[in-house]
Amino acid sequence: MDDKIKRIYVPMTESGFYILYCLQEPQHGYGISQQVRKMSGGQVVISAGTMYGTLSKMEKDGLIRFCYEEEKRKLYQISELGKQVLDLEIARIERLYLNSKGENVNE
Amino acid sequence: MNKTVIKFFTIADYEEEELWLRQMHQNGYKLVKMYIPCFYVFEECEKEDVIYRLDYRSYEPDDDYWQMLKDFGWEHFAHCLNWHYYRKKADQLENAEDGELFSDNASRVEMISSVIRTRMMPIIVIFLCCVAPNFGRYLSGEAFGPWDRFFMLFYSIMFVIYVYLICHCGLKLRKLKDKYSN
Repeated sequence: MDDKIKRIYVPMTESGFYILYCLQEPQHGYGISQQVRKMSGGQVVISAGTMYGTLSKMEKDGLIRFCYEEEKRKLYQISELGKQVLDLEIARIERLYLNSKGENVNE
Repeated sequence: MNKTVIKFFTIADYEEEELWLRQMHQNGYKLVKMYIPCFYVFEECEKEDVIYRLDYRSYEPDDDYWQMLKDFGWEHFAHCLNWHYYRKKADQLENAEDGELFSDNASRVEMISSVIRTRMMPIIVIFLCCVAPNFGRYLSGEAFGPWDRFFMLFYSIMFVIYVYLICHCGLKLRKLKDKYSN
């Protein structure tokens, strides 16, 4: 992974994280927003412009790839690079979580 | 009955424009189309609270974009120079974010940057390469043929307009960017 990708995506925005997480399965923008709303108990809402912009940018940067089109909706899925970024983010969030509970991270 | 309203909003005043369109709808006038910038064609309608939003896309978006906005409940009804006009009834909103096109600051800043790159920069280039040099030439009294009075007046007006646009939009877009930068 090059430094540019790291600089842009680590750490990533909350919407970015949820979008990448949901794309472990092929999904389209509106589907992702519904899934995120459900899994976060309605606390995370991603709007249309943010969703479209983030998907376009992630596709351009190679984090996700276009799978197929279904009734004018583009379905995307995470790429190998995207998985690496997602893993980095998850490790970072786990560290934050442990530290927030007053626990240290074991080396 | 339709009525055309002429109102001036610059590329940096889109939030004010959204509010104005909402107020017009609350007063019983909904926007139907725009022929050219600043010329708004309204149609009489029921007085309703409808949220208006503007999205700027520097390139022609694909089908996925139109479908996505539609899925999210936005009605696209007009566009003008890469600005897309959307609306949604206020009583359809489940929460405040449903009434926004952008739910995080990163994407708000992204749109502002795109406006600066593709709209603000050309204004500055035209000013520096055309308006300012010509204005300077007439000001120094170098050329005075029969048409020059006309051109002098033309470039003077352009000079004032461009200086105003660059100062107003430059400052305002920066202020908007600061507002949405964490």
